[in-house]
Amino acid sequence: MIYADNAATTQLNKAAFEAMTPWLLNEYGNASQPYAFARKPKKALAEARATIAKCINVQPDEIFFTSGGTESDNWVIKSSAFAAGENRSTITSAFEHHAVLHSCEAIEHLGYPVGYLMPTTEGLITAQTLNGIISNTTHLVSVMYANNEIGTIQPIKELCNVAHLHGSLFHTDAVQAVGHVEIDVSDLGVDMLSASAHKFNGPKGIGFLYIRKGTKILPYADGGAQESRRRAGTENIASIVGMATALKENFTGLKSNVAYIKSLEVRLLEKLSETNIPFVRNGGDNTLPGLISLSFSGADGEAILHRMDLMGISISTGSACNSVNTEISHVLKAIQLEETLAKGTIRISLGRNNTEEDVDFIVAALAKVLTKIF
Amino acid sequence: MGKITKCCVCESKLDKDAVGLNKKLLDKNLTRFFCIDCLADHLDVSVEDLYAKISEFKDQGCTLFL
Repeated sequence: MIYADNAATTQLNKAAFEAMTPWLLNEYGNASQPYAFARKPKKALAEARATIAKCINVQPDEIFFTSGGTESDNWVIKSSAFAAGENRSTITSAFEHHAVLHSCEAIEHLGYPVGYLMPTTEGLITAQTLNGIISNTTHLVSVMYANNEIGTIQPIKELCNVAHLHGSLFHTDAVQAVGHVEIDVSDLGVDMLSASAHKFNGPKGIGFLYIRKGTKILPYADGGAQESRRRAGTENIASIVGMATALKENFTGLKSNVAYIKSLEVRLLEKLSETNIPFVRNGGDNTLPGLISLSFSGADGEAILHRMDLMGISISTGSACNSVNTEISHVLKAIQLEETLAKGTIRISLGRNNTEEDVDFIVAALAKVLTKIF
Repeated sequence: MGKITKCCVCESKLDKDAVGLNKKLLDKNLTRFFCIDCLADHLDVSVEDLYAKISEFKDQGCTLFL
C-alpha cells in the first residue's frame, strides 16, 4: 500500500506512541488532583505545553489544549464574535476549511456579520484584497496558513499587519502547516493559531489553540479550572504528551524532512511531465512541501481516486460525485478553476515516509488510469 | 421494460451494480459496460475488490447502486 494522502492525516510517530503509553496504563491520575499520584501527569502536562510553545516560539501559558483543529477554529470564530458583539464583523476567506466556514455560517445565522475574501487564481489572499473590505468595525480576520487542498502558503504576516492596523484580531488556521514548515508565531504577530496533532504525526483527537496573552475571547467550555478556566474538562495527558513529542520530532528534523519531501515532489512532477499527459499544477509557486494538487482536463477526479485505490494507492480528490452531478470543492470554485479541470482534480500529499519508488509507482498508475478506459 | 444492458466483452446481462461501478471507475458518460468479472480483468484487480467498492458506494448512499 502506498499512502499519499498525508494532508488528510499522518502516521503516528513511534516515539510519540511510546511516550503516550505510560499515561494510558500506569500514570492515569487526574492532573487536577492535589495528591502525589497526580504530580507526574501535572508535570507532563506542563512539559508538553512548554515543548509546544518552544516549537512555535510563544509562551507556554499561551497554549490551550483542544480536541483538534475543528474545535480550535470553532472556539476562535464563535467565542471572539460573542465577545465582540453583533455590531462587529468577522472576515475570513472563501476557501477556508469547513471548520472555519461552517463556524462563520453559524454566527451569521445568529446575526453576526461575516465578510469573505476571494483568493487569486493561484490561491493567494492578498493584503490588497483584505484592505478592500476591512474596516474599523472588523473584530477578527481569520485566514488559513496554507490551503489544505491546493497547498498555497498565505502571506500571513502581511495580512496580520493589515488586520492590526484596523484594530482587528488575527487568527490563522495552521492545521495543515504546523510541523511541516517553520512557523515563528511571535514573528508572524498573529493573535491566535489553530493546530491539530494528527496532521504532524501525532495522535488523533488532540490539538491546540495558541491565544496571545491579553486576547479578548470567551471560554470554549465552562466547568473545571483546566486550561486557565478557558477550556474545561479533564486533560487527555497521553494524547497531549504524544502531540508534544510528535511536534518536537518534526521540528527537530524539519529542514531535512522538507528537503526530502520537496525532492519527491520535484521527481513526481518531472516523471509526470515525461508521460506527456497534460496536467495543471494548482496552488502557485509557494506551496506546502509534498502537497500536489493536479488537474487533468476532461478526466474524472473521483474515478482516478478509486482506480488508484484499487492499485493500492491512497490519494484524495477535489470533486465528489453526488450520483447526479460532480460536486466541485469550494476551494477549486474559489480559485475559479475551469470546470473541466476542476472535475479532474486530485490531491497527492507526500510525507516523510514516502520513497522515490512510491513516487514512480504513483506516476505509472496515474498514466495507466488516464490513458486507458477501453 | 427497460433496455437490457450487456457486457461489451462476454455479453452477459448487467445489473445496476455493474453499470454503476463502470460509471464510477471508468467514466460517468459511458455507453459500453463490462460485467464485474470482465471489469476485474480489464482493470487487473480482483472481483472481491470490486464488490468491496460496490459495498462502500452503497454505504455512502450513492444512488447509482440503490
